[in-house]
Amino acid sequence: MEDGVGSEEDYYDSDRESLDGLENEESDPQWVPAKGPSCKVITKESLLAAQREDLRRVMDLLSLREHHARTLLIHYRWDVEKVFAVLVEKGKARLFAEAGVSVVENHDADSPVLSSTETCDICMEDLPSSEVTKMDCGHCFCNSCWTEHFIVKINEGQSKRIRCMAYKCFAICDEGIIRTLVSKRHPDLAEKFDRFLLESYIEDNKMVKWCPSTPHCGSAIRVENDEFCEVECSCGFQFCFSCLSEAHSPCSCLMWELWIKKCRDESETVNWITVHTKPCPKCHKPVEKNGGCNLVSCICGQAFCWLCGGATGRDHTWSHITGHSCGRYKEDREKKAERAKRDLYRYMHYHNRYKAHTDSFEQESRLRETIREKVSNLEERDSRLRDFSWVTNGLYRLFRSRRALSYSYPFAFYMFGDDLFKDEMTNEERELKQHLFEDQQQQLEANVEKLSKFIEEPFDQYDEDKIMEIRMQVINLCVITDTLCKKMYECIENDLLGSLQFGIHNIAPYQSKGIERATELTVFWSATANDTGKFHKPDEQTGGTTESDRPSGSGSSDDNGCSSRKRAREGSFGGSLFDLNLPADVIDRN
Amino acid sequence: MVDFARVQKELQECNRDIEVSGISVNPKSDNLTQLIGTIPGPLGTPYEGGTFTIDIVLPDGYPFEPPRMQFATKVWHPNISSQSGAICLDILKDQWSPALTLKTALLSIQALLSAPEPDDPQDAVVAQQYLRDYQTFVGTARYWTETFAKTSSLGAEEKVQKLVEMGFPESLVRSTLEVVGGDENMALEKLCSG
Ligand SMILES: [Zn+2]
Ligand SMILES: [Zn+2]
Ligand SMILES: [Zn+2]
Ligand SMILES: [Zn+2]
Ligand SMILES: [Zn+2]
Ligand SMILES: [Zn+2]
Ligand SMILES: [Zn+2]
Repeated sequence: MEDGVGSEEDYYDSDRESLDGLENEESDPQWVPAKGPSCKVITKESLLAAQREDLRRVMDLLSLREHHARTLLIHYRWDVEKVFAVLVEKGKARLFAEAGVSVVENHDADSPVLSSTETCDICMEDLPSSEVTKMDCGHCFCNSCWTEHFIVKINEGQSKRIRCMAYKCFAICDEGIIRTLVSKRHPDLAEKFDRFLLESYIEDNKMVKWCPSTPHCGSAIRVENDEFCEVECSCGFQFCFSCLSEAHSPCSCLMWELWIKKCRDESETVNWITVHTKPCPKCHKPVEKNGGCNLVSCICGQAFCWLCGGATGRDHTWSHITGHSCGRYKEDREKKAERAKRDLYRYMHYHNRYKAHTDSFEQESRLRETIREKVSNLEERDSRLRDFSWVTNGLYRLFRSRRALSYSYPFAFYMFGDDLFKDEMTNEERELKQHLFEDQQQQLEANVEKLSKFIEEPFDQYDEDKIMEIRMQVINLCVITDTLCKKMYECIENDLLGSLQFGIHNIAPYQSKGIERATELTVFWSATANDTGKFHKPDEQTGGTTESDRPSGSGSSDDNGCSSRKRAREGSFGGSLFDLNLPADVIDRN
Repeated sequence: MVDFARVQKELQECNRDIEVSGISVNPKSDNLTQLIGTIPGPLGTPYEGGTFTIDIVLPDGYPFEPPRMQFATKVWHPNISSQSGAICLDILKDQWSPALTLKTALLSIQALLSAPEPDDPQDAVVAQQYLRDYQTFVGTARYWTETFAKTSSLGAEEKVQKLVEMGFPESLVRSTLEVVGGDENMALEKLCSG
């Protein structure tokens, strides 16, 4: 099955080097991502073709005409599997009835009407048969009434489900008839209608979403297997497909949403102020306690008691203020303050680490530049060292591990905090799990720092032996951090989130090769466009080429390399044992 | 633009078999966008014997948009507002079909009088009463029919008498009737709203 596919494939040969010494690790079946790469970019140009792929499947299976297939798929939210499931479960008649599809069984039903005039029940006029139209459900009204009805419905925003005019008839009208009739009176409205139908593929489809980039790049992304994944659009924007914010695994979407809010919120600072300051009883400015004793004084000159906030004189000892004896000191008040303080420190602990890693990967481009310099210095040297892919691979591995590490802190903040899973675990369980997780996290962190140290060394000035040693270290650390990341994700998925009873948290699976870059949808469709093809205005097409003219994968030697041709292999079976990102010859070797 | 040709035909059609159905539609204004419909209260219901008038306004998109209808006669019914006369009926909303007519809509309203749907109420107070104390509901509905849906012309004293029977103090009834110029419906409205 891998024949003739891998050889011409773009791939990111990240850890290919490491195969030399670490083949066993790499060929371990557990290493293979559970889900194949399968994200597609749908552009304005390929939207029609993307839609037609699904239409075709339904049309073929049920031998339906296109507009019936579309009605069916709009009703079932473009879930082809669902259509098939309903078909098996409830049968064809129910499947069609629920979606409002009425297939004409005998076509001669229209022909015996030979009378030259018909009465339209809407306008109550007698009209020549040429001016009436019969819908698939058998209901017949005059063209003028149909048109009026369509216009009202399109303007009401119901383009996707325009029902027949007959009372209690739930059939959806033939889009071809709608288009023809409406365009005669309102060509612009007919275009709007077409656009609604077309965009239904994105708007009503769980597996397709608009790219959330701002300004909007105009593309949509389609995922194949799992909506919990992270993708990169062709515009370069990386995001979580599920919640459309930045990629944030191994944090769950909810955790990430809470975290963002928490970071943005002033509440922590407000908290800090309440813990550390008290308002002056005279001028009401917050005053910070600046020493051990409980007499504090404001810049306005007012002295007051820290415990009760009451104004006092200035004479005092450590334990007593002259003329002031407050009985309002309460244990629980102090406890509450202690608690707020503890929560704050806890947040700061996680936030500092999260921030440290985020800051480091924000320096990606700078580091990438210095690495490039080092590599070109090395390449200029006359040496037996030729291949420096380990340097760039090491760099990418560093960035990826740092991302995982960075988002693992907000994850831990919520996983082991009180906000989300307070009732899901006993304190002992929680402690146990936290230790387990933190061990992994710390291991990963230590190795990431090591990797970072090696990569930042000025190895371009070292001798060959020293470089070879660094090379080995980097390759080694790449494999280790990759393994540790993977293990951390697994621990989160299986041992932590997987064991929850009430909370349902999903995370995007770990992607060793980095966030998957969606590839342009490659489609072959003939220029003999039927009715819906007409809104493919030539000026909207890039350079006037059709989809089939465009080189597939357009060779952009993408680092994450998932070419569109992958689908051929991926289709085989779910638990494929092959890493689809590896070249075929590597797979052969295994 | 309202399809006036169709409205004209509808009116002719409807008034042709008025003897059988008892349902009539007549223009309120010259331009045919405002009409008045009347339906007889269905036999065997608390509405029997009453004649109910319904205000009809045709929107620009008629018949592709539903006509707007509401009771001009006060009615005690779970799906009709006892205050405004607004009707809760699916065919006047999203289930409207251009193949329906004013007459079929009025027939549906008549059917609604016979078969209330208290689970989808327009008037929560009436619906509560309908579900919890059906006898009282029937009594009130019948009373409202007698009072508001019968075209008898009562004398001034009879009006006073009726309103006093409904539980309002006589002096207040008299002063209220005076204020509204003797119109007992308006007087009741005023008395009810306090
Ligand atoms: Zn017509
Ligand atoms: Zn029909
Ligand atoms: Zn984009
Ligand atoms: Zn998300
Ligand atoms: Zn002060
Ligand atoms: Zn002091
Ligand atoms: Zn005090």
